[in-house]
Amino acid sequence: MEDETPARGGDYLWDGSGEPDPEIQRLESLLGKFRHDRPVPPFPAVPAMVPDRRWTFLPRRIRLFPTLATAAAALVAIVVATFLVYGRKPAPTIVAGWNVSRVAGTPRVGPKTIGGKEGTSRLGVGQMLETDSQSRASLEADDTGQIEVDPSTRLRLLKMGAGLKRIALDRGTIHAFIWAPAGQFVVDTPSAVTVDLGCAYTLQVDDSGAGLVRTSLGWVGFKLNGREAFIPAGAACATRPKVGPGTPYFEDASSEFRAALARFDFEDSTLQQRADDLAIVLGDSRKRDALTLWHLLARVDEGQRILVYDRLREFAPPPASVTEEGILRLDQPMLDRLWNELGFDDISVWRHWERSWSGTATPVREK
Amino acid sequence: MSDARNGDREAFGRLYDRYARMVHGVLLAKVPAGAVDDLVQDVFLLALRRLSTLREAGSFGAWLAAIARNQANDYHRHSAPEDQLANDRSENEIGCGHASQDRQGPANQGRANQGPDQHGSAVAILDAVRSLPDAYRETLILRLVEGMTGPEIAARTGLTQGSVRVNLHRGMQQLRAKLGPHPSQERPGIDRPEQETSQS
Repeated sequence: MEDETPARGGDYLWDGSGEPDPEIQRLESLLGKFRHDRPVPPFPAVPAMVPDRRWTFLPRRIRLFPTLATAAAALVAIVVATFLVYGRKPAPTIVAGWNVSRVAGTPRVGPKTIGGKEGTSRLGVGQMLETDSQSRASLEADDTGQIEVDPSTRLRLLKMGAGLKRIALDRGTIHAFIWAPAGQFVVDTPSAVTVDLGCAYTLQVDDSGAGLVRTSLGWVGFKLNGREAFIPAGAACATRPKVGPGTPYFEDASSEFRAALARFDFEDSTLQQRADDLAIVLGDSRKRDALTLWHLLARVDEGQRILVYDRLREFAPPPASVTEEGILRLDQPMLDRLWNELGFDDISVWRHWERSWSGTATPVREK
Repeated sequence: MSDARNGDREAFGRLYDRYARMVHGVLLAKVPAGAVDDLVQDVFLLALRRLSTLREAGSFGAWLAAIARNQANDYHRHSAPEDQLANDRSENEIGCGHASQDRQGPANQGRANQGPDQHGSAVAILDAVRSLPDAYRETLILRLVEGMTGPEIAARTGLTQGSVRVNLHRGMQQLRAKLGPHPSQERPGIDRPEQETSQS
């Protein structure tokens, strides 16, 4: 992580020490009116969530608390009786997974159709949820988020652990709204792996395995075999099997821009055609299309990289610590510092979370 | 934390005392000021309900910040456009505008650029802060509005101190540019720090 030495204000901005900066003090004084000043509100009672480990069944303690001892004895008797009566039946278990609600039609979890009065089910690890052309479903997990499942979709729950929750979207469309900590919710598709970074997004996969992610809030990471894409709100990114993520773009870019980018990313074009498409992209790019240009740096050949960089620095002048030579040889720290100038988010967020899942960033093949 | 998990409301109250400013600041970075107090309570109620799902007590701050960000997103997702406009209007009347990065209009941007001397109110400054990129605006609000120090921000949000320091200084540089007395000083194109500083 790049450190920042104090500009004006010295250490005062960082921790209030050192010589006070009058401008910062003035801002503090003016903005202090918006400061939080509410006392602790009355919170509702909640049941104990973890058993108190201090209680042990020591005979001496039981003798000291006859009521407790009686209650414990009764409980043991109930447990023994229950075991004797139902001991041969498998005990019901709460499996890690998502609650599934039917929204329309008859979605299925495995072979079981969700319908009728109840309209709910549970998607456990290893199970598949499938909707037909008339069905829709909604998934929710308290500690993760909510997923709306469109018709003609098939997804599988691969993992539901403490740190990582992973599903595979084989085909169809999901709309994810995730509140789990950034980096914990991962979706495998046949052509890329998406990781949520605190956001809402729509992910589509067609029958060929090609995908498209469109971010509506926050941002999403897309990765396959070292090729990565960061997609902030308002942007989209396509993927193709065997290629991986294309180049992200803002959806309000011109149609010529988007068409040329799609050809550049995925078509088996001649060198001349690629050069022509790149020229369209560079020529039609606007300030916010720095998003696309930054990604293109690693996707063009060496001869074209300088063209992309020249255009990019018109929009986002690089910091002094970033050199042309470094960018042309794709020096990762310099690329990251350049990204941080684009105003989307600090890339360290991605670098931090990437470590937790990128080792397995290989799409799961459709079963 | 373990007491709070065991249903101890006083312990949860202590968590509220410790983290409420952080939650308030995260929300204020994204939603109208008039809606923030209610949302703070919503965030803590949600956290209380889900506390059992948090397996690593050390990540409570980051977890809570994520809930707050999602509540803010949810606010925009479920607010009718006219409601948001009404909120923004009333907010301006009581002295707090909204100018998120994505919805910042030229008028708002221009007003922020004119600086507080011309506007003479905290509203324009808050508008200017909220027109900065997400990472900067959140950190700056925690520092300038909530009065937290950099180390406190890092400890409460789960961000590294390096990230917070970068966000504070870069955000402050961008804010100075926006609040400067001469709007023409702001560079065209994407905002960037006035000068690159040394690295650690």
